[in-house]
This record gives sequence, structure tokens and C-alpha cells, in this order.
Amino acid sequence: MKRRDLLGWAIKAMGATLGGFVLYPLARYLVPPSIPEAVTRRVVAAKKGDVPPGGFKTFPFGAQPGILVHTADDRWLALSAVCTHLGCTVQYKNSDRMIWCACHNGFYDLDGRNVSGPPPRPLERYVVHVEGEDVIVEKAKA
Amino acid sequence: MVSRLREWLRDRLGLEALEHVADKKDVPVHRHSFWYYWGGMTLFLFGIQVATGILLLLYYRASADEAYESVRFIMTQVSFGWLIRSIHSWSANLMIGAVMVHMFSAFMLKAYRAPREATWLSGMVLLGLSLAFGFSGYLLPWNQLAFFATKVGTDITGAVPVIGPFMLRFLRGGEHITGGTLTRFFGFHVAILPAVVTVILGVHLYLVTHHGMSVPPSVEGRTPPPPRMKFVPNFLLRDMVGWLAALALLALLAALFPWELGLKADPYASAPAGIKPEWYFGWMFQTLRMLPSHILGIEGELVGILGIGLGGVVWLLVPFLDDPRGQGPRARFWRVLGAVAIVYVVVFTLLVYRGATP
Amino acid sequence: MRLPRILIAPLATLALLAALPAAASAARAGANPQNSCLDCHRALDDARLAAPAKAFAEDVHGAHGLGCIGCHGGDPTDADITSMDPDKGFKGTPARKDIAEMCATCHASAEFMKRYNPQPYIFSMAEFRTSVHCKKIAVGDPKVATCTNCHGVHGMLSRKDPRSPVNRRNVPATCSKCHNPEYMKGRTVPTNQYALYRVSVHGKALLEKGDLSAPACNNCHGNHGAVPPNTRDISLVCGTCHGREGELFAKSKVKAGLELEGKRGCVTCHGNHGVQLPTDALIGTTGDGVCGRCHESGSAGARASDVIVPAFHALKARIGDADSLLAVADRLGMEVEAGRELLKQADDQLVNVRATLHGFDTKQITAVLTEGDGLADKAIAQARDALRDWRIRRIGMALSVVVILLMAGLLALRIRRLERGPGA
Repeated sequence: MKRRDLLGWAIKAMGATLGGFVLYPLARYLVPPSIPEAVTRRVVAAKKGDVPPGGFKTFPFGAQPGILVHTADDRWLALSAVCTHLGCTVQYKNSDRMIWCACHNGFYDLDGRNVSGPPPRPLERYVVHVEGEDVIVEKAKA
Repeated sequence: MVSRLREWLRDRLGLEALEHVADKKDVPVHRHSFWYYWGGMTLFLFGIQVATGILLLLYYRASADEAYESVRFIMTQVSFGWLIRSIHSWSANLMIGAVMVHMFSAFMLKAYRAPREATWLSGMVLLGLSLAFGFSGYLLPWNQLAFFATKVGTDITGAVPVIGPFMLRFLRGGEHITGGTLTRFFGFHVAILPAVVTVILGVHLYLVTHHGMSVPPSVEGRTPPPPRMKFVPNFLLRDMVGWLAALALLALLAALFPWELGLKADPYASAPAGIKPEWYFGWMFQTLRMLPSHILGIEGELVGILGIGLGGVVWLLVPFLDDPRGQGPRARFWRVLGAVAIVYVVVFTLLVYRGATP
Repeated sequence: MRLPRILIAPLATLALLAALPAAASAARAGANPQNSCLDCHRALDDARLAAPAKAFAEDVHGAHGLGCIGCHGGDPTDADITSMDPDKGFKGTPARKDIAEMCATCHASAEFMKRYNPQPYIFSMAEFRTSVHCKKIAVGDPKVATCTNCHGVHGMLSRKDPRSPVNRRNVPATCSKCHNPEYMKGRTVPTNQYALYRVSVHGKALLEKGDLSAPACNNCHGNHGAVPPNTRDISLVCGTCHGREGELFAKSKVKAGLELEGKRGCVTCHGNHGVQLPTDALIGTTGDGVCGRCHESGSAGARASDVIVPAFHALKARIGDADSLLAVADRLGMEVEAGRELLKQADDQLVNVRATLHGFDTKQITAVLTEGDGLADKAIAQARDALRDWRIRRIGMALSVVVILLMAGLLALRIRRLERGPGA
């Protein structure tokens, strides 16, 4: 009779352990992660103060870099930073007011149009909003 | 205290009736009893599917823009997200495997004989629904392989005469696979199919309980009749050992072979090499692939689709075609046919993975 | 549609301008019964005389409705041999020395060219005169190229036509028709350019890969003012495409130093026609390192190189380490996308270093190297995290399997106990 109790007790204890093994991952799963959502359409590219007028910043947009330009006349622009020629990362040249790829001297205007050099296609343009201190870049709706 | 609570619940919920049913239910013991476990195994895995599926819904987003990213998010950012998704994917495959074993064993043991025709029919519907679950769920991560597998799968549906073009549009929600298809498949996967399965599964379980376990013809006539085991607790405990084994297997698979995500679907990319459907569609895929382009002047694929469709109908109607006693030449014919079908399905499934082409 | 002769004959000898409508409408008439030049020449048995007429079917001038008379004069409405009467303006074959001037009558006229193309290329005779080709023609050298030698004649095609000898992909072969050792025998001009170019990074890109952004001969030497690129600063030539390198180099002290020694920028290290894809072996003073060609060991330049070169190779090694660690984690089924992104950025910095080297500014180069190192380190950390995570998963899995199996064992025991129970 005693041994039977022992087995019953062991089964309960083991059942509780097993329950713990199942519930622990579940509980952890339910807690939202520190990055609250899967973002690729929308990203906070910079804080307003990070990029002075005439400056630019490259930021990760999904798996690809994007370029955020703050023009001297205080406009914000965002484009894909992947040069359409051979995939180098482009930069903003304030002196020419153009986007420039250093690899083979490709130039794009601020609308992303390829204006000189080898690039075969324009850069993809993104939409920029300034919300408070955040500069938010969004993929344009198709 | 605990016993008083139990009493209270008993009275309020009418558990006596259930207890009575559970107490009455028993399982015959004979040399084919092993096959009785597979229905329970399927049910257990289905339970895991429901639980993990609900959990995945917390983070999954069903749109062409976000589906892939949200699954990636689950796999990388959410704690144990990789575990939940891997278990959902692996368990889906194990469940379909268990369904197949359950169905083929029921066929070979002639469990469909009167008065269990309706049990067989509801079971076949559940099998079809399981495959539909698999097919619709496969697309949801919106990755390259899923995209093209779905394209091929729906293309085949489109080749069915008369209703094909309509079915294709119905499945895809248009002429092409788009974000709309994804939303549609999501709706099938998490709302329509679960609702239908709940009803049919209820019917199936009711019928199983109502008619009791079927005894195969080879054991049926024997005297004395086979001994019987109580379902609760003896058979249920055995069931649970099997479930724990399945759970251990799932833990191993999920940790050692996390389900891959692959590349995001790109409708304009060319189809990647070696697109294969999920293994449970493999035998059909292989059949269509190995048919000549024309048979007696009709397109080979069409012949294949019609053949498989006809086979499915015959399979479904077997309770009405077989000898109700389960003996005699007619019964032998169906037994042999069943064995041939099993060998055929197994061989053709394996052929897909040998990369065999005509 | 027959035009009065009186209208055509006088104008043919002048510019083509006024004759144009007639010629154009004649060409539009399809079989062109008006053009007696083509009718007769096509039928001639002498291949030398028939070939131009046959080839003209595809000629860009013909396609625009221009006929023979623009260059050769004569009267195409006259079906008889009298159409070639010098009185009717017939000029026969233009002399080699006159060809350029003759082409220039139309091609140098913006007004005329705009009738055919809103954005025409306007040929400049003045520019052509600066070329060695033109100078030699002027002194009566018969073996020098004029317009027709490069562009073809009679079957002349637009440069956009891939069959045109001046289509970018065909330019190197066209130039080499003359610029080869055989043809140039007895001249001082080098003749190895084509052989070198074909195996150069530019030649391979253009001729083998068909990359139309790669330069042909004319992109550095100019088209009609073909001379060696005697710009004040060669980095202006290379910098046309290699912008960043050119810009940095133009400001560098190395450029100034080379000038003092009478050497020319870019080509001193990279060569000219045979320029190869620059490898990292070029960096440094040892082995294939080009710096060592000028900077003796112990000199200030060599000392700078001793700092930069090891740091450069260390960054490369670090990126390699990150790559292989990420590959290991990837093979184990871990998600390494974030690490891959960092690695890509580190790789970008490595490319950036290679460009920045052309400024020969130690501080600037070191800054980029440091940034690259930081990114590579972060990628390595990501990979290590993924591997640690993987170990934790395995341990968790092992523990849970043990618990599950123990539970199964206990249940099995329970079944045995149950069935051995009172009855047994």
C-alpha cells in the first residue's frame, strides 16, 4: 500500500515538473519582447538632432541600408542607400546637393533619379515623417 | 476540501454521465490492438497544433508585407518563439503521419464495416481537412519555397476539368498568388478549417464511443471473444506513454532541427530549383511527374488528376463496396488493394526524395 | 513624285541642306526609283563599284532619307551615265584629307543635325584638329585614321547599333585595327595597348561581361581629339569614374610627391591599359606591395605603411572570423540575420578603407579601420551569442526529454502495478 502511494506521489511530482517545463517557455513566449514589433515598413531612422541641415545618415532598413538626407533648406528625404549599379552604399554630397556613389562616381538627384555615371536605375524613395524628435521612415505604399 | 470541490463540480456539471461513459468504455485486447493507439495519437498532436497555433497568432501578421517579417520576428526576437513555431511545424507533420497510419490501419483491419460506415466517412473528411490545414499553413510564412509550392499546388487544382478554373480562383482569391491569397489561406487555416474540424471531430469521436472499438474480422469470430481492457485508466495510461514519447520526439526535433524560414517570397523571382511539395502530397506530385505527357490522346496530367480523384472516391466508398462480414473473396480483394495502395504511396513518396524523374 | 531637275542640280554641289527634302522624299518612296546611283551601281558586276550601293541599304544616312549626292554630288534623277557629269556637281571619291571637312559640313552644324535628333552630337573640327590623327593627315600621312576608318562608310551604322565599329563594345577592336605592331611598324607609338586592355579589368568587364559602364579606349583618350590623356592630373581621368579615389588622391601628399619626380598619379601603381583588379597584395612595402617601389624601408612612408597595413589585414581577418562563426551558427540552424547585417556593414567599411587609402592620410585611414573593427567585433559577438543560445537550447532540450521519459517510465510502472493488482 505504501509503495503505491510513493508511486502516486512520484507521478504527481514528475507531472508538476513536466508542467513546469511546458509552462515556462509558454510564459516567456507570452511576454512581449523588448523590440515590440516586427518592423520593416517603418523605422525610426534618426533623432532630429542627429542630422544637421546639409548632413545625412545611413540607417538599417530591414536588411538593407537606407539613406536619410537633411537638406540645407530643412527638408528631410529618405531613399534606399544601395546603389543600383553594383550595390555600394551611397552618400549625400551637400556641395552638389546630390546623392553620390563613391564606387564609380554615380550621381542621383534628391528624388533618387540616376542623373550621371553608371547607375542604371533610380533609387527607391521612402516617405519621411517627423514626429516629435523622431524622424520616421516608411516604405511608400505601392 | 478537494473532495468536496469535486463533488460540487460533479453535481453542477453533470460529470456523472461522462464518468459513466468513461467507465463503460473498453478496448479489446488482441494482436492488432497496437493500431488502436493511432487515433489518440492524432488527437494529442492536434491538441498541440491548436495550442501552438493559438500562441503563434499573438505575433503573426497575415499580409504579404508583414507575414515573413513577423515569422522572422517570432523566430528571432520572441523568447521561445523558435520553439513554438518549430513544434507547430513538426507536430503538423507528425500529425499527418499519425492520421495516415490511423486511416490505413482502419482500412486494413476493415474497421469501416457496418455499422461504422459513418465513422469511416467522417474520418476521411478529417483526413482531407488535415491535408487542407497543411496546405494552407505552408503558405503563411510567405517564403519562397511556400510561395512556389502553393503556386504548383493550386495550378494542379486548376487542371481539373470543369470545376478546375473556378477552384483555382476560389483558392487563390484571384488569378494569381498575391497578398490576397495569403489573407485567404490565413482565414482558412485559423477560422474556417478549425470550425469545420471541431464539428466533424465531435461527430467522429461520438461515433467511436457510440459503436465501441471495432474488432478485425480475423479476431471477431473467435471463441472465446478477446479479453477487454478498461479505457480508463489502463488504456488511457498507455495512450499517455505514447503521447509523452511523441512529446519527447517533438522536443528533440524542434531543438535539433529548428524549422527553417528561408527567403522571403518574391513573385517576380524565378522558381528556385527542386521545389517539392510537403511530403504528404509527394506521392501525388510524383505520380503526375512520372506520367507521360499524353495517354491515349489525353493530357497525362489530366489522366493523373482524374485517376487520383477516382481512387479517392472509391477509397471513400469502400464501406459500401466491401463484404460486410469482412470475409470471402470480395474482402480479400479489398485487403490486397489496400496493401497495394500502401506500397504505392510509400514508394512514390520515397521517390520524390530520390529526385527520380522519368 | 518627280521634282523639276532645275531645283536639284544646282543645290547638290552646295550644302545638303536644301537638297534634303528631295532626297528625303525620294528615300521614302521605297524602291527609290529616283536614285539612279543606287539603281545602276547595284546592278554592276564590278564588286568594287556595286558594294557601296548594296551596303547603303542599312546606312544611317540612308535611313534618315539622305542619299549619295551629299558626299559624291551628281544627279540621281538622271538615269544615264550623264548623271556623273562633273558639270552636275559629281565629285567622285572624296580625297582622304578632305573627308573630315566634308563630314563636318553637316555634323558640325547644330542647326542641321537638330533636324534629325533633338540632342545631337555636334562634331567639332577644332577638336579633331587637336588629335594626332588629324595632325598627321594635315601633313599628308596616308596611313592615319579619318572619320570613315572608325565609323565605316556606306554601310555606316549608328553608334548605338551593336554592330557598329564605334559601338562601345567594338571600340577597342576598332582602334586596334591600326594600333597594332604590324600596322604601326616604323612608328614610335606603342602598340601593346589592345593586348593589355583585353585582359585588364576594364577590358574583361566590357568585352566579356558586356558591362557598358566599363570604359573603352575613347572614354580616357577622347573621341575625336584622340590623344594620350595629357590632363594636368591623371586622377582627373581615372576620377571620372573612380570618383572617391580620384578626389582623395588629388588632395594627397603622394600626388604632390609624384609630380615633383615627374611621375604620373594612378598609373604609377596601377598601370594604364593593362590595369588589373587591384588586390590587397598591392598594399604595403613587401611582396607585390606597390608602396615599396618608392618608399625605402625606414622612410616615413614605409613607417606609416607598417602601421596601416597590419591593421588593414587584421580587419580582414576579423571579418573572416565573424563570417565563419556566423556560418557555424547558421549551419546549426540559428538565426544570424542581424549578425550578417553587421558583417555587411563591416565589409562596407573594408571597401571604404580601400578607397580611403588613396588619400594617404594615416589619421583618416585609421578612423575608418577602427569603425570597421567595431562592426566586425559586434558581428562576432552576435555569432557568439547565437552559439551560446544554441548550447542553452540543447541543454534545455536534453533536460526536458529526460523529464518526459521519466514521466513515461513512471506511467509504465503505474500500468504494471495496476494490472498486477488484486486480481493477479
